Amino acid sequence: MMRKILFTVNDAPCSITCHPAKTLLDVLREDLDLTASKECCGKGECGSCSVLVNNEVVCSCLILVGQVENQNVITCEGVGLTPHLDHIQESFIEEGATQCGYCTPGIIVSAKAFLNDVDYVPSVDEIKTALGGNLCRCTGYSKIIQAIKTAAEKNLKELGTV
Amino acid sequence: MIAGGTDAAVRMKEGKWRPEVWINIKGIHELRYISEKDGAIHIGPLTTHTDIIRHTLLQKKADVLVEAAREVGAIQMQNMGTIGGNIGTASPAGDTIPALYVLGAVFELRSITSVRLVPIEEFFIGPGKTILKKKEMITNIIIPPQKANEIGIFQKLGPRKAQSISIVNVAISLLMGKDRKCLGGKIAFGAVAPTIIRAKKCEALLTQQPLTDEIIQNIGKIAWKEVMPITDGRATAAYRRDMASSLLERGLYRLLRRWENDGEK
Ligand SMILES: Cc1cc2nc3c(=O)[nH]c(=O)nc-3n(C[C@H](O)[C@H](O)[C@H](O)COP(=O)(O)OP(=O)(O)OC[C@H]3O[C@@H](n4cnc5c(N)ncnc54)[C@H](O)[C@@H]3O)c2cc1C
Ligand code: FES
Ligand code: FES
Repeated sequence: MMRKILFTVNDAPCSITCHPAKTLLDVLREDLDLTASKECCGKGECGSCSVLVNNEVVCSCLILVGQVENQNVITCEGVGLTPHLDHIQESFIEEGATQCGYCTPGIIVSAKAFLNDVDYVPSVDEIKTALGGNLCRCTGYSKIIQAIKTAAEKNLKELGTV
Repeated sequence: MIAGGTDAAVRMKEGKWRPEVWINIKGIHELRYISEKDGAIHIGPLTTHTDIIRHTLLQKKADVLVEAAREVGAIQMQNMGTIGGNIGTASPAGDTIPALYVLGAVFELRSITSVRLVPIEEFFIGPGKTILKKKEMITNIIIPPQKANEIGIFQKLGPRKAQSISIVNVAISLLMGKDRKCLGGKIAFGAVAPTIIRAKKCEALLTQQPLTDEIIQNIGKIAWKEVMPITDGRATAAYRRDMASSLLERGLYRLLRRWENDGEK
Protein backbone atom coordinates (compact mmCIF):
# COMPACT_ATOMS: atom_id res chain seq x y z
CA MET A 1 0.00 0.00 0.00
CA MET A 2 1.56 3.29 -1.11
CA ARG A 3 1.18 6.33 1.06
CA LYS A 4 2.23 9.96 0.94
CA ILE A 5 4.78 10.77 3.64
CA LEU A 6 5.98 14.24 4.58
CA PHE A 7 9.22 14.97 6.39
CA THR A 8 12.17 17.35 6.28
CA VAL A 9 15.50 16.42 4.74
CA ASN A 10 18.47 18.73 5.15
CA ASP A 11 16.12 21.56 6.14
CA ALA A 12 13.97 21.25 3.02
CA PRO A 13 10.42 19.92 3.26
CA CYS A 14 9.92 16.79 1.22
CA SER A 15 7.02 14.63 0.21
CA ILE A 16 7.31 11.16 -1.17
CA THR A 17 4.80 8.51 -2.09
CA CYS A 18 5.90 4.97 -1.36
CA HIS A 19 5.32 1.97 0.87
CA PRO A 20 5.75 3.17 4.49
CA ALA A 21 7.85 0.08 5.29
CA LYS A 22 10.56 1.08 2.79
CA THR A 23 13.72 1.91 4.69
CA LEU A 24 14.70 5.53 5.08
CA LEU A 25 18.05 4.64 3.51
CA ASP A 26 16.42 3.34 0.32
CA VAL A 27 14.19 6.40 0.14
CA LEU A 28 17.14 8.76 0.52
CA ARG A 29 19.16 6.98 -2.15
CA GLU A 30 16.47 5.94 -4.64
CA ASP A 31 13.73 8.52 -4.32
CA LEU A 32 15.68 11.60 -3.22
CA ASP A 33 19.00 10.97 -4.96
CA LEU A 34 20.91 11.64 -1.74
CA THR A 35 23.56 8.97 -2.12
CA ALA A 36 26.06 9.92 0.60
CA SER A 37 24.48 7.44 3.04
CA LYS A 38 25.57 3.93 2.09
CA GLU A 39 24.21 0.47 2.70
CA CYS A 40 26.83 -1.97 3.87
CA CYS A 41 25.58 -4.47 6.48
CA GLY A 42 21.95 -3.36 6.35
CA LYS A 43 21.60 -4.52 9.99
CA GLY A 44 22.66 -1.67 12.20
CA GLU A 45 26.18 -2.92 12.74
CA CYS A 46 28.47 -0.79 10.59
CA GLY A 47 27.07 2.76 10.65
CA SER A 48 27.72 3.56 6.97
CA CYS A 49 24.04 4.53 6.66
CA SER A 50 24.11 6.90 9.67
CA VAL A 51 21.91 9.99 9.50
CA LEU A 52 20.54 12.38 12.08
CA VAL A 53 16.87 12.22 12.97
CA ASN A 54 15.93 15.15 15.19
CA ASN A 55 19.67 15.67 15.77
CA GLU A 56 20.32 12.15 17.05
CA VAL A 57 22.46 9.75 15.06
CA VAL A 58 20.60 6.63 13.90
CA CYS A 59 20.98 3.91 11.26
CA SER A 60 18.78 4.72 8.27
CA CYS A 61 18.93 1.08 7.13
CA LEU A 62 16.71 0.08 10.08
CA ILE A 63 14.29 2.99 10.09
CA LEU A 64 11.14 2.64 8.05
CA VAL A 65 10.24 5.83 6.24
CA GLY A 66 6.78 5.83 7.80
CA GLN A 67 8.57 6.30 11.14
CA VAL A 68 10.12 9.64 10.17
CA GLU A 69 6.86 11.28 9.15
CA ASN A 70 7.06 14.95 10.22
CA GLN A 71 10.58 14.42 11.58
CA ASN A 72 13.74 16.22 10.68
CA VAL A 73 16.41 14.21 8.84
CA ILE A 74 19.96 15.38 8.16
CA THR A 75 22.31 13.41 5.92
CA CYS A 76 25.99 13.95 5.23
CA GLU A 77 24.95 16.23 2.35
CA GLY A 78 23.18 18.35 4.95
CA VAL A 79 26.29 18.56 7.15
CA GLY A 80 28.07 20.33 4.28
CA LEU A 81 28.66 20.34 0.53
CA THR A 82 31.55 21.87 -1.40
CA PRO A 83 32.34 24.74 -1.20
CA HIS A 84 30.55 25.08 2.16
CA LEU A 85 32.11 22.20 4.03
CA ASP A 86 31.74 21.67 7.75
CA HIS A 87 34.89 21.75 9.88
CA ILE A 88 34.64 17.99 10.19
CA GLN A 89 34.70 17.50 6.44
CA GLU A 90 37.58 19.98 5.99
CA SER A 91 39.55 18.18 8.69
CA PHE A 92 38.93 14.78 7.09
CA ILE A 93 40.52 16.10 3.90
CA GLU A 94 43.42 17.80 5.70
CA GLU A 95 44.21 14.77 7.85
CA GLY A 96 43.75 12.24 5.06
CA ALA A 97 41.09 10.46 7.11
CA THR A 98 39.38 8.80 4.17
CA GLN A 99 40.53 6.07 1.82
CA CYS A 100 37.86 4.19 -0.13
CA GLY A 101 35.35 6.59 1.42
CA TYR A 102 32.53 4.12 1.94
CA CYS A 103 32.35 4.67 5.68
CA THR A 104 33.13 8.38 5.56
CA PRO A 105 29.65 9.96 5.20
CA GLY A 106 28.35 7.88 8.11
CA ILE A 107 31.33 8.75 10.26
CA ILE A 108 30.96 12.44 9.47
CA VAL A 109 27.32 12.32 10.54
CA SER A 110 28.22 10.53 13.79
CA ALA A 111 31.02 13.01 14.44
CA LYS A 112 28.63 15.89 13.79
CA ALA A 113 26.15 14.61 16.38
CA PHE A 114 28.98 14.07 18.86
CA LEU A 115 30.65 17.47 18.38
CA ASN A 116 27.27 19.25 18.59
CA ASP A 117 27.19 18.09 22.21
CA VAL A 118 30.73 18.97 23.34
CA ASP A 119 32.36 22.33 23.91
CA TYR A 120 35.92 21.11 24.42
CA VAL A 121 38.45 19.02 22.53
CA PRO A 122 37.36 15.45 23.30
CA SER A 123 39.75 12.71 24.37
CA VAL A 124 40.63 9.77 22.13
CA ASP A 125 38.52 7.48 24.33
CA GLU A 126 35.50 9.73 24.06
CA ILE A 127 35.84 9.82 20.28
CA LYS A 128 36.17 6.04 20.17
CA THR A 129 32.97 5.64 22.19
CA ALA A 130 31.15 8.11 19.95
CA LEU A 131 32.26 6.15 16.88
CA GLY A 132 31.64 2.70 18.36
CA GLY A 133 28.86 2.10 15.85
CA ASN A 134 30.87 3.07 12.77
CA LEU A 135 33.25 0.61 11.14
CA CYS A 136 36.04 1.48 8.71
CA ARG A 137 37.90 -1.26 6.88
CA CYS A 138 40.64 0.98 5.44
CA THR A 139 42.09 3.68 7.61
CA GLY A 140 42.85 2.01 10.93
CA TYR A 141 40.93 4.87 12.59
CA SER A 142 43.86 6.97 13.83
CA LYS A 143 43.49 9.60 11.14
CA ILE A 144 39.73 9.67 11.62
CA ILE A 145 40.21 10.29 15.33
CA GLN A 146 42.79 13.00 14.61
CA ALA A 147 40.43 14.65 12.10
CA ILE A 148 37.66 14.81 14.69
CA LYS A 149 40.04 16.37 17.20
CA THR A 150 41.13 18.93 14.61
CA ALA A 151 37.50 19.71 13.81
CA ALA A 152 36.74 20.18 17.51
CA GLU A 153 39.65 22.63 17.75
CA LYS A 154 38.33 24.55 14.74
CA ASN A 155 34.86 24.71 16.24
CA LEU A 156 36.27 26.09 19.49
CA LYS A 157 38.43 28.64 17.68
CA GLU A 158 35.39 29.85 15.81
CA LEU A 159 33.51 30.23 19.09
CA GLY A 160 36.47 32.21 20.44
CA THR A 161 36.95 29.90 23.41
CA VAL A 162 40.53 29.00 22.50
CA MET B 1 4.41 -3.65 16.46
CA ILE B 2 7.52 -1.68 15.72
CA ALA B 3 9.19 0.76 18.13
CA GLY B 4 12.84 1.59 17.43
CA GLY B 5 12.95 -1.19 14.85
CA THR B 6 16.44 -2.35 15.78
CA ASP B 7 15.20 -5.89 16.29
CA ALA B 8 12.01 -5.80 14.23
CA ALA B 9 13.54 -4.34 11.05
CA VAL B 10 16.51 -6.71 11.22
CA ARG B 11 14.14 -9.67 11.50
CA MET B 12 12.09 -8.31 8.61
CA LYS B 13 15.18 -7.99 6.44
CA GLU B 14 16.34 -11.48 7.32
CA GLY B 15 12.94 -12.73 6.19
CA LYS B 16 12.16 -14.08 9.67
CA TRP B 17 9.22 -11.80 10.31
CA ARG B 18 7.01 -10.34 7.62
CA PRO B 19 3.80 -9.10 9.22
CA GLU B 20 1.11 -7.91 6.83
CA VAL B 21 0.61 -4.81 8.90
CA TRP B 22 3.18 -2.91 10.92
CA ILE B 23 1.90 -0.86 13.80
CA ASN B 24 4.36 1.95 14.30
CA ILE B 25 4.28 2.89 17.98
CA LYS B 26 7.47 4.98 17.86
CA GLY B 27 5.49 8.22 17.57
CA ILE B 28 3.41 7.71 20.75
CA HIS B 29 5.05 10.40 22.89
CA GLU B 30 2.78 9.60 25.83
CA LEU B 31 4.66 6.31 26.20
CA ARG B 32 8.09 7.92 26.39
CA TYR B 33 8.59 9.10 29.94
CA ILE B 34 10.57 8.61 33.14
CA SER B 35 8.94 9.77 36.37
CA GLU B 36 8.69 9.06 40.07
CA LYS B 37 5.30 8.98 41.72
CA ASP B 38 3.78 7.30 44.77
CA GLY B 39 7.17 5.91 45.76
CA ALA B 40 7.80 4.13 42.43
CA ILE B 41 9.74 4.88 39.27
CA HIS B 42 7.71 4.68 36.08
CA ILE B 43 9.41 4.20 32.72
CA GLY B 44 7.44 4.36 29.48
CA PRO B 45 8.20 1.54 27.02
CA LEU B 46 9.24 3.99 24.30
CA THR B 47 11.98 5.43 26.48
CA THR B 48 15.23 4.96 24.56
CA HIS B 49 18.48 3.64 26.00
CA THR B 50 19.92 7.13 25.55
CA ASP B 51 17.04 8.62 27.60
CA ILE B 52 17.84 6.14 30.39
CA ILE B 53 21.59 6.84 30.34
CA ARG B 54 21.05 10.60 30.61
CA HIS B 55 18.41 10.59 33.32
CA THR B 56 19.60 11.81 36.72
CA LEU B 57 16.78 10.14 38.66
CA LEU B 58 17.72 6.75 37.22
CA GLN B 59 21.44 7.37 37.73
CA LYS B 60 20.68 7.77 41.41
CA LYS B 61 17.84 5.35 42.01
CA ALA B 62 18.27 2.68 39.31
CA ASP B 63 22.03 2.76 38.71
CA VAL B 64 22.21 -0.80 37.42
CA LEU B 65 19.68 -0.08 34.66
CA VAL B 66 21.68 2.95 33.51
CA GLU B 67 24.83 0.82 33.34
CA ALA B 68 23.00 -1.85 31.34
CA ALA B 69 21.56 0.67 28.86
CA ARG B 70 25.06 2.03 28.35
CA GLU B 71 26.18 -1.43 27.23
CA VAL B 72 23.54 -1.77 24.51
CA GLY B 73 25.00 -1.66 20.98
CA ALA B 74 26.60 1.67 20.16
CA ILE B 75 25.27 5.24 20.04
CA GLN B 76 22.98 4.60 17.07
CA MET B 77 21.33 1.61 18.76
CA GLN B 78 21.03 3.52 22.04
CA ASN B 79 19.28 6.39 20.24
CA MET B 80 16.91 4.10 18.34
CA GLY B 81 16.35 1.13 20.65
CA THR B 82 13.70 1.33 23.35
CA ILE B 83 13.37 -0.44 26.67
CA GLY B 84 9.96 -1.79 25.60
CA GLY B 85 11.58 -3.27 22.50
CA ASN B 86 14.38 -4.83 24.54
CA ILE B 87 11.77 -6.51 26.75
CA GLY B 88 9.51 -7.36 23.79
CA THR B 89 12.32 -9.14 21.94
CA ALA B 90 12.78 -11.29 25.06
CA SER B 91 16.29 -12.31 24.10
CA PRO B 92 18.08 -14.33 26.82
CA ALA B 93 20.99 -11.94 26.13
CA GLY B 94 18.99 -8.68 26.32
CA ASP B 95 21.04 -6.30 28.42
CA THR B 96 18.40 -4.29 30.26
CA ILE B 97 16.48 -7.38 31.41
CA PRO B 98 18.87 -8.65 34.16
CA ALA B 99 19.00 -5.10 35.51
CA LEU B 100 15.20 -5.00 35.62
CA TYR B 101 15.23 -8.38 37.41
CA VAL B 102 17.44 -7.20 40.26
CA LEU B 103 15.45 -3.99 40.55
CA GLY B 104 12.26 -6.06 40.93
CA ALA B 105 10.43 -4.52 37.96
CA VAL B 106 6.72 -4.96 37.34
CA PHE B 107 5.27 -4.56 33.85
CA GLU B 108 1.93 -3.02 33.07
CA LEU B 109 0.33 -4.84 30.14
CA ARG B 110 -2.66 -3.31 28.45
CA SER B 111 -5.08 -4.12 25.73
CA ILE B 112 -8.00 -1.94 24.72
CA THR B 113 -10.17 -3.71 27.28
CA SER B 114 -7.80 -4.90 30.02
CA VAL B 115 -4.91 -3.90 32.26
CA ARG B 116 -2.76 -6.24 34.32
CA LEU B 117 0.42 -5.93 36.34
CA VAL B 118 2.95 -8.74 35.95
CA PRO B 119 6.17 -9.15 37.95
CA ILE B 120 9.18 -9.57 35.65
CA GLU B 121 9.85 -13.10 36.94
CA GLU B 122 6.52 -14.26 35.49
CA PHE B 123 6.82 -12.47 32.16
CA PHE B 124 9.45 -14.37 30.18
CA ILE B 125 8.89 -18.02 29.31
CA GLY B 126 11.65 -18.79 26.81
CA PRO B 127 13.87 -17.26 24.14
CA GLY B 128 11.64 -14.74 22.33
CA LYS B 129 8.64 -15.95 24.32
CA THR B 130 6.60 -14.01 26.85
CA ILE B 131 3.15 -14.21 28.36
CA LEU B 132 2.07 -11.15 26.37
CA LYS B 133 -1.28 -11.84 24.68
CA LYS B 134 -1.93 -11.01 21.05
CA LYS B 135 -3.64 -7.68 21.56
CA GLU B 136 -1.63 -6.56 24.57
CA MET B 137 1.33 -4.25 24.79
CA ILE B 138 3.70 -3.13 27.53
CA THR B 139 2.58 0.31 28.63
CA ASN B 140 4.61 0.93 31.79
CA ILE B 141 7.67 -0.43 33.55
CA ILE B 142 7.46 0.11 37.29
CA ILE B 143 10.44 -0.23 39.60
CA PRO B 144 10.91 0.45 43.30
CA PRO B 145 13.60 3.15 43.64
CA GLN B 146 16.89 2.04 45.17
CA LYS B 147 17.57 3.23 48.70
CA ALA B 148 20.60 5.34 49.59
CA ASN B 149 22.46 2.21 50.72
CA GLU B 150 21.42 0.14 47.70
CA ILE B 151 24.04 -0.09 44.96
CA GLY B 152 24.06 -1.91 41.68
CA ILE B 153 26.37 -2.85 38.87
CA PHE B 154 26.04 -4.44 35.40
CA GLN B 155 28.86 -6.48 33.91
CA LYS B 156 28.91 -7.73 30.34
CA LEU B 157 31.19 -9.86 28.26
CA GLY B 158 30.87 -9.52 24.50
CA PRO B 159 33.23 -10.19 21.61
CA ARG B 160 34.09 -6.49 21.49
CA LYS B 161 33.34 -3.38 23.45
CA ALA B 162 30.65 -1.79 21.31
CA GLN B 163 27.84 -3.28 19.28
CA SER B 164 28.04 -6.81 20.57
CA ILE B 165 25.50 -9.24 21.92
CA SER B 166 26.32 -10.50 25.41
CA ILE B 167 28.10 -13.83 25.70
CA VAL B 168 27.29 -13.59 29.40
CA ASN B 169 26.06 -10.67 31.45
CA VAL B 170 25.19 -10.17 35.09
CA ALA B 171 23.33 -7.55 37.09
CA ILE B 172 23.83 -7.18 40.84
CA SER B 173 22.04 -5.02 43.35
CA LEU B 174 23.07 -5.03 47.01
CA LEU B 175 21.56 -3.48 50.10
CA MET B 176 24.61 -2.60 52.19
CA GLY B 177 25.01 -2.28 55.93
CA LYS B 178 28.07 -1.26 57.89
CA ASP B 179 31.46 -1.93 56.31
CA ARG B 180 31.28 -4.99 54.10
CA LYS B 181 28.08 -6.36 55.62
CA CYS B 182 25.42 -6.98 53.03
CA LEU B 183 21.80 -6.92 54.22
CA GLY B 184 20.25 -8.33 51.09
CA GLY B 185 20.87 -8.57 47.40
CA LYS B 186 19.82 -9.86 44.03
CA ILE B 187 21.89 -11.32 41.21
CA ALA B 188 20.57 -12.01 37.69
CA PHE B 189 22.47 -13.62 34.82
CA GLY B 190 21.79 -13.23 31.11
CA ALA B 191 22.68 -15.59 28.25
CA VAL B 192 23.23 -18.61 30.49
CA ALA B 193 19.72 -20.10 30.29
CA PRO B 194 16.59 -19.88 28.07
CA THR B 195 15.56 -16.76 29.97
CA ILE B 196 17.34 -14.46 32.38
CA ILE B 197 17.80 -16.27 35.71
CA ARG B 198 18.20 -15.20 39.31
CA ALA B 199 21.18 -16.86 41.01
CA LYS B 200 19.39 -17.66 44.25
CA LYS B 201 22.10 -19.86 45.74
CA CYS B 202 24.64 -17.08 45.26
CA GLU B 203 22.17 -14.59 46.68
CA ALA B 204 21.75 -16.71 49.81
CA LEU B 205 25.48 -16.42 50.52
CA LEU B 206 25.53 -12.63 50.23
CA THR B 207 24.08 -11.98 53.67
CA GLN B 208 25.66 -14.72 55.76
CA GLN B 209 28.96 -13.03 56.53
CA PRO B 210 30.64 -9.76 55.60
CA LEU B 211 31.67 -9.85 51.93
CA THR B 212 35.36 -10.61 52.34
CA ASP B 213 37.48 -11.48 49.32
CA GLU B 214 37.19 -15.12 50.29
CA ILE B 215 33.38 -15.06 50.41
CA ILE B 216 33.27 -13.30 47.05
CA GLN B 217 35.43 -16.01 45.51
CA ASN B 218 33.13 -18.62 46.99
CA ILE B 219 30.08 -16.94 45.54
CA GLY B 220 31.83 -16.98 42.15
CA LYS B 221 32.35 -20.73 42.48
CA ILE B 222 28.68 -21.28 43.34
CA ALA B 223 27.71 -19.28 40.25
CA TRP B 224 29.75 -21.66 38.10
CA LYS B 225 27.47 -24.48 39.27
CA GLU B 226 24.25 -22.51 39.31
CA VAL B 227 24.14 -21.25 35.70
CA MET B 228 22.89 -23.54 32.93
CA PRO B 229 24.42 -22.30 29.71
CA ILE B 230 24.42 -23.94 26.29
CA THR B 231 27.02 -24.03 23.55
CA ASP B 232 26.09 -21.96 20.51
CA GLY B 233 27.77 -19.95 17.76
CA ARG B 234 28.89 -17.31 20.22
CA ALA B 235 30.53 -19.44 22.94
CA THR B 236 30.75 -22.87 24.50
CA ALA B 237 28.88 -23.78 27.65
CA ALA B 238 32.13 -24.28 29.58
CA TYR B 239 33.42 -20.86 28.62
CA ARG B 240 30.11 -19.29 29.63
CA ARG B 241 30.30 -20.97 33.05
CA ASP B 242 33.84 -19.70 33.63
CA MET B 243 32.88 -16.22 32.52
CA ALA B 244 29.68 -16.13 34.59
CA SER B 245 31.76 -16.95 37.63
CA SER B 246 34.43 -14.34 36.83
CA LEU B 247 31.99 -11.59 35.90
CA LEU B 248 30.10 -12.05 39.16
CA GLU B 249 33.31 -12.01 41.19
CA ARG B 250 34.57 -8.93 39.37
CA GLY B 251 31.19 -7.22 39.72
CA LEU B 252 31.11 -7.81 43.47
CA TYR B 253 34.68 -6.56 43.93
CA ARG B 254 33.96 -3.42 41.92
CA LEU B 255 30.72 -2.80 43.75
CA LEU B 256 32.38 -3.11 47.14
CA ARG B 257 35.18 -0.83 46.08
CA ARG B 258 32.56 1.76 45.11
CA TRP B 259 30.79 1.27 48.42
CA GLU B 260 34.01 1.72 50.38
CA ASN B 261 35.03 4.80 48.39
CA ASP B 262 31.71 6.57 47.95
CA GLY B 263 29.41 5.18 50.66
CA GLU B 264 25.74 6.06 50.50
CA LYS B 265 24.39 7.77 47.39
C1 LIG C 1 23.69 -3.79 15.70
C2 LIG C 1 22.82 -4.13 16.87
C3 LIG C 1 23.38 -4.23 18.14
C4 LIG C 1 22.59 -4.55 19.24
N1 LIG C 1 23.19 -4.64 20.46
C5 LIG C 1 22.43 -4.97 21.53
C6 LIG C 1 23.04 -5.09 22.82
O1 LIG C 1 24.25 -4.91 22.98
N2 LIG C 1 22.26 -5.45 23.87
C7 LIG C 1 20.90 -5.66 23.73
O2 LIG C 1 20.24 -5.95 24.71
N3 LIG C 1 20.31 -5.53 22.53
C8 LIG C 1 21.03 -5.20 21.43
N4 LIG C 1 20.42 -5.09 20.22
C9 LIG C 1 18.99 -5.38 20.10
C10 LIG C 1 18.07 -4.16 20.15
O3 LIG C 1 18.73 -2.98 19.76
C11 LIG C 1 17.45 -3.91 21.52
O4 LIG C 1 16.81 -5.08 21.95
C12 LIG C 1 16.46 -2.75 21.54
O5 LIG C 1 16.21 -2.34 22.85
C13 LIG C 1 15.15 -3.10 20.85
O6 LIG C 1 14.30 -1.96 20.91
P1 LIG C 1 13.49 -1.44 19.64
O7 LIG C 1 12.67 -0.29 20.11
O8 LIG C 1 14.38 -1.18 18.50
O9 LIG C 1 12.59 -2.71 19.34
P2 LIG C 1 11.76 -3.10 18.04
O10 LIG C 1 12.67 -3.73 17.07
O11 LIG C 1 10.93 -1.98 17.57
O12 LIG C 1 10.80 -4.20 18.68
C14 LIG C 1 11.30 -5.42 19.17
C15 LIG C 1 10.16 -6.35 19.56
O13 LIG C 1 9.49 -5.87 20.71
C16 LIG C 1 8.12 -5.65 20.44
N5 LIG C 1 7.73 -4.45 21.17
C17 LIG C 1 8.28 -3.21 21.05
N6 LIG C 1 7.69 -2.35 21.92
C18 LIG C 1 6.76 -3.07 22.59
C19 LIG C 1 5.80 -2.74 23.62
N7 LIG C 1 5.69 -1.51 24.13
N8 LIG C 1 4.99 -3.73 24.07
C20 LIG C 1 5.08 -5.00 23.57
N9 LIG C 1 5.97 -5.36 22.61
C21 LIG C 1 6.80 -4.41 22.12
C22 LIG C 1 8.01 -5.54 18.94
O14 LIG C 1 6.76 -5.92 18.47
C23 LIG C 1 9.10 -6.48 18.49
O15 LIG C 1 8.66 -7.81 18.51
C24 LIG C 1 21.19 -4.75 19.08
C25 LIG C 1 20.61 -4.62 17.82
C26 LIG C 1 21.40 -4.32 16.71
C27 LIG C 1 20.76 -4.18 15.36
S1 FES D 1 24.16 -0.34 6.59
FE1 FES D 1 23.10 0.47 8.25
S2 FES D 1 24.42 0.00 9.86
FE2 FES D 1 25.37 -1.03 8.24
S1 FES E 1 37.72 4.56 4.24
FE1 FES E 1 37.24 2.64 3.42
S2 FES E 1 35.90 1.84 4.93
FE2 FES E 1 36.59 3.61 5.83
